[in-house]
Amino acid sequence: MKKLTTQLRFDGRRLVLRNTSFIFFSLLMPVMFYILFTKVMVVTNNSAEMKIFSLNYMGSMIVYSILITSLMNIATFLMRDREQGFLMFLKMSDRGLFDYYISMGLWSVTMSMISVVILGGVAVLVNGVSLGLTQWGALGLMVLIGQLPLLLLGMALSFIKRQETLGVVCNLITFPAAIVSGLWWPIGLLPKWLQVIGEKLPTYFLNDVISSITNHAKLKLVDFVGIGIWTIILLAVTLLIIKISQRRGIFAGVQA
Amino acid sequence: MRDVIEVNHLKFNYRKRGVLKDVSFKVGVGKVVGLIGENGAGKTTLLKVLLGFLPDHGRAKILNSTPRLNYDVSSMMQGDLKLPGVTVQDILEETAAQSTSSLDIERVLKELDMMDLIHQRLTSLSGGQLRRVSFAMALIPNTRLVFLDEPTVGMDVNSRQRLWQKIDDLKKEGKTILITSHYLNELEKIADQILILKDGKIAFDGSFNELQSKYLMTTISFKTELGMDNFTNIDSLKNIRKKNGIIYIKSRDGDRTLQALLPLLNELHQISITRESLEKIFISMSEEELTDEKVNHTASI
Ligand SMILES: Nc1ncnc2c1ncn2[C@@H]1O[C@H](COP(=O)(O)OP(=O)(O)OP(=O)(O)O)[C@@H](O)[C@H]1O
Ligand SMILES: [Mg+2]
Repeated sequence: MKKLTTQLRFDGRRLVLRNTSFIFFSLLMPVMFYILFTKVMVVTNNSAEMKIFSLNYMGSMIVYSILITSLMNIATFLMRDREQGFLMFLKMSDRGLFDYYISMGLWSVTMSMISVVILGGVAVLVNGVSLGLTQWGALGLMVLIGQLPLLLLGMALSFIKRQETLGVVCNLITFPAAIVSGLWWPIGLLPKWLQVIGEKLPTYFLNDVISSITNHAKLKLVDFVGIGIWTIILLAVTLLIIKISQRRGIFAGVQA
Repeated sequence: MRDVIEVNHLKFNYRKRGVLKDVSFKVGVGKVVGLIGENGAGKTTLLKVLLGFLPDHGRAKILNSTPRLNYDVSSMMQGDLKLPGVTVQDILEETAAQSTSSLDIERVLKELDMMDLIHQRLTSLSGGQLRRVSFAMALIPNTRLVFLDEPTVGMDVNSRQRLWQKIDDLKKEGKTILITSHYLNELEKIADQILILKDGKIAFDGSFNELQSKYLMTTISFKTELGMDNFTNIDSLKNIRKKNGIIYIKSRDGDRTLQALLPLLNELHQISITRESLEKIFISMSEEELTDEKVNHTASI
């Protein structure tokens, strides 16, 4: 128990409190985008349309924030911990890597919840967005489920060896995925063939579920199926990569 | 005496390349052991096998069990942790939480004169400072067996002294310590046992004095009217050659060779005696076979 609490404190400091990349790219930037597009560069005078847009864009920015956290932050931390031998160091202790993975998992979830709270808070304060308690609860729950494929993708990518390569790959996935799945501007503005691709991405499904929740619309089965399929695929890929790495002995940063 | 480390015909390959070919040695409890070898000799690899990170195929025993997941071992590896957002205190608390009998962090830092670093981020430390943090990390778990992989790299003179002082204290507490290094002279005072890893094998296993007398040559040179054959059978002779009218005698034991030369002293001029530095040992080891051939050759003429 002492070890788990120490591990949680240790990871909380480096992942959240002292993580400028998280604070800037996962929180500050989405907040700025949100204020910019719902308050400063307003495209319509219709207040009913505006109300829906400020709701939907809040959801989009939450998904965008989680995407950035999983791919830019968690992936980098996992990779660095292995490359620098931190996993090796932990492996020599009594409980091995158990507490580490529990702690990283809990903090990933917490980071997503921080995104929900911050962006939700800004939406409430700036645009007077109002949701019922059950809606907020459902939103939080969906974020928990919907981030699974993204976290798994981050975990799979963390096996990329060089930090530079990892950074490039994450950028190449994050920004196109954000645009194509309609997180930055409505997906209807994209060319048809891009929409077809975009509507199959996990970020699209999550964004769509959130939008259904916030708009009191009926939840769509296809969104859940989509998230489920992505989770299964990425889980399989991640497990495969772990297996291969373990066979090559590089799982805990020791290379054989 | 009980052995803390026992290795029998250990082999280890990275993919196809054999790094450890046939390694055998024993380390008794409470000993300080210096593991020496050139870059790429396999020192770090050997430590990783002993720690249980690489397979030993049942060839190694640490504290009477297989190396895998043996918790009474702490180690200072070659690479330092440079994790962003982590302070010295954080990483030491994390280290302390790993073991049940850990030492007090502040006490260790005070002993190593590192209290000024306690709130610094690992990413803001210099190379030598990081090395010192890694050393502190190896001390805090308070284990019976301590592995130190090139501990002094990048450390200044004071830090080195404190490190050797601390290792001496650990030795007095009865801990067993395995240190890898490229610098033989820093091991001279402290090591009870020297292991030299070369070509995947333990090329030398013994005390520092034994190492010295086996590999550290003294060269005695002089001019003389006497013929070479007066010297070919002299005590402790390793080899002999003549160049520009000067005879060079390479001796395994300078004192004994000199004593043997004493009766001839009146015939010898421009005598000079040079002792090889410790760092020459690797060169002497590779030359060994060659020079032995040379001696045989002259003898057969
Ligand atoms: N992960 C790896 N994959 C393949 N080969 C490796 C790996 N790690 C080390 N080697 C090789 O194994 C050999 C021994 O490496 P090792 O790190 O054990 O040497 P060392 O004696 O510690 O050297 P140094 O004095 O430079 O620290 C080297 O030839 C090295 O290139
Ligand atoms: Mg090494």
